[in-house]
Amino acid sequence: MTAEGAPASGAPSAGSVSSAGSVSSAGSVSSAGPVASNGRLAGAPPARNWIAERRARSAVLLTLPTWVFLVPMFFLPLGVGIYLSFYDKTLGFPMEPSFVGLDNYRTDVLSPVFGEALVVTLLILALGLALQFPLGMALALLLHQQMRGRGVFRTAILVPMLLTPVAVGLMWRFMYNPELGIINWWLGVLGLPGVDWLGAPWPALFAVTFVDSWQALSLVVLMLTAGLASLPTSPEEAARVDGASGWQVFRHVTLPALMPVILVTLMIRVIDGFKIFDVVFILTRGGPGTATQTVSMLDYNVAFTFLATSRASAIGVVLMLITLPIYFLWRRVSTLAERS
Amino acid sequence: MARRAGGRSPLGSIGLYAVLTVTSAVMLFPIFWTVSTSIKDRVDTFRLPPVIVGFTPTWKNYSQLFEDPTFIRVMANTIIVTAGSTIVALLIGSLAAYALARAPRFRGRRPLEVSLILLRAMPGVVLVVPLYDVLAGVGLLGKMPMLIVLYAMVNLPFAIWIMTPYFQGIPMELEEAAVIDGASGAQVFRTVVFPLALPGVVATGLFVGLLAWNEFLLPVVLGSEATKTLPVFISGFVSARTLDWGPLAAASSLAIVPIALLTVVMQGRLVRGLSQGAVKG
Repeated sequence: MTAEGAPASGAPSAGSVSSAGSVSSAGSVSSAGPVASNGRLAGAPPARNWIAERRARSAVLLTLPTWVFLVPMFFLPLGVGIYLSFYDKTLGFPMEPSFVGLDNYRTDVLSPVFGEALVVTLLILALGLALQFPLGMALALLLHQQMRGRGVFRTAILVPMLLTPVAVGLMWRFMYNPELGIINWWLGVLGLPGVDWLGAPWPALFAVTFVDSWQALSLVVLMLTAGLASLPTSPEEAARVDGASGWQVFRHVTLPALMPVILVTLMIRVIDGFKIFDVVFILTRGGPGTATQTVSMLDYNVAFTFLATSRASAIGVVLMLITLPIYFLWRRVSTLAERS
Repeated sequence: MARRAGGRSPLGSIGLYAVLTVTSAVMLFPIFWTVSTSIKDRVDTFRLPPVIVGFTPTWKNYSQLFEDPTFIRVMANTIIVTAGSTIVALLIGSLAAYALARAPRFRGRRPLEVSLILLRAMPGVVLVVPLYDVLAGVGLLGKMPMLIVLYAMVNLPFAIWIMTPYFQGIPMELEEAAVIDGASGAQVFRTVVFPLALPGVVATGLFVGLLAWNEFLLPVVLGSEATKTLPVFISGFVSARTLDWGPLAAASSLAIVPIALLTVVMQGRLVRGLSQGAVKG
């Protein structure tokens, strides 16, 4: 597939060609797919078939241990969650739960609290993406330049990525402290008024977003620099020779070629952004009020603060349903990424 | 207005370095602040203007932590659950990764792929709420072995996705030669395939180990006082009436400094592992 794409995108008017290139390669894949596999099956000697069968049989055995883990610890709990969502179970309450039908869904999922949590989650997600991607793209392009000390800068930007969210979250909490925190002190130096970062609704939302994005930026820069490094340089050079400006080269050559990587990164961030929990738990526990109560935080609070297992299960089932379509998105994005 | 390849005006160079220096400083400052707070005396911790450098370092916060038997237990728990779950995830995951790398189609391949993606994408609470109920019912709540297998399970998608390409990279001919020499399937895996994939397995182990080290939701909900891990211990500082920043910074430093160092040293491998493990359907 790469061999098909490379000469096409080497042509001068890069913008139109690269999009045409991806279309043609997509076409060729879908038409060539069944033919190739038929040809392989029909033309292969019987011994190969026998080996393939044996491989398939041992593959079933080799994946068995994974199923032994997934069935009781992933699928069983999900099933139990669905079951509990129709009952009225209270955490640690030994009484036999009674069937309540859709009551839990009516009281919790259709409540404004859940809607608000969904909005808060999407808001943090959207704000974060708006911060991470333009900034990440710019940094990746800067780090792509030939320069001394590039490795040092890249390393520095990469370091926050895998740090324990709980630990860094608490240190940010220290820095956000309105009286003693270093952030407000700096604002004071700049002549700006201090902000009650975690005590007021909007600042708290930004504070949570900022900590999450601080770590996520590392991932975005990492993915995009790796993507940039894997691009062939000839199309960019050809466009430059043809007199395209730096912005034109980026907009019409680099950006389209980088699109699969961008989409993969975007999907990872959407998944992890929707799951956001640790940082919220540590910084605000969803507060002040419900200003930063994301869906995960809400579900946790209902389950382990209000001890309403069944109501939390109903929320969980809805989150489960929201997660399911991600599978289709995932497949699309990953085939796109593999094709390029 | 053609730009010479690699050519940059001096002003552009200064701008480039300025932007990258400021960004790097912002990215690293919280780490620096954590470590410096951990070696400050209580008086210096709250001094305004903040003391960036030039304070007298003290190990008091660390010695206070390590004099506490609870904390020793916490560190031991964290190491045990991290190491244990990583080994389990690698053992189980390498078998599945090998199958996915070698057999293009087999019974249950698609369901397995779907399950791994859903496990990766599902918010943890969705799983943890009913799990609490299930584990309480069978008396496995707050048990270390249970936590180890649960940690391993949630990290299986990453483990499998990162290892699969390594297995794909091993030439099929080597295996076939071993089979002709009379080796059984298990022998081929143990003596030919696994040793060749070992660098990949080790890299995967580091990555999965980091995730286990950071794991918070599982131990905080399904653990107990006896299984308390470092992230749970650190989160406990919040509920304390007065936040004791010195020891907290020391505990946080113990959590993040090893990861920061590992990230710097293992950069190349992490980059490769992450981009492979990021999306594999």
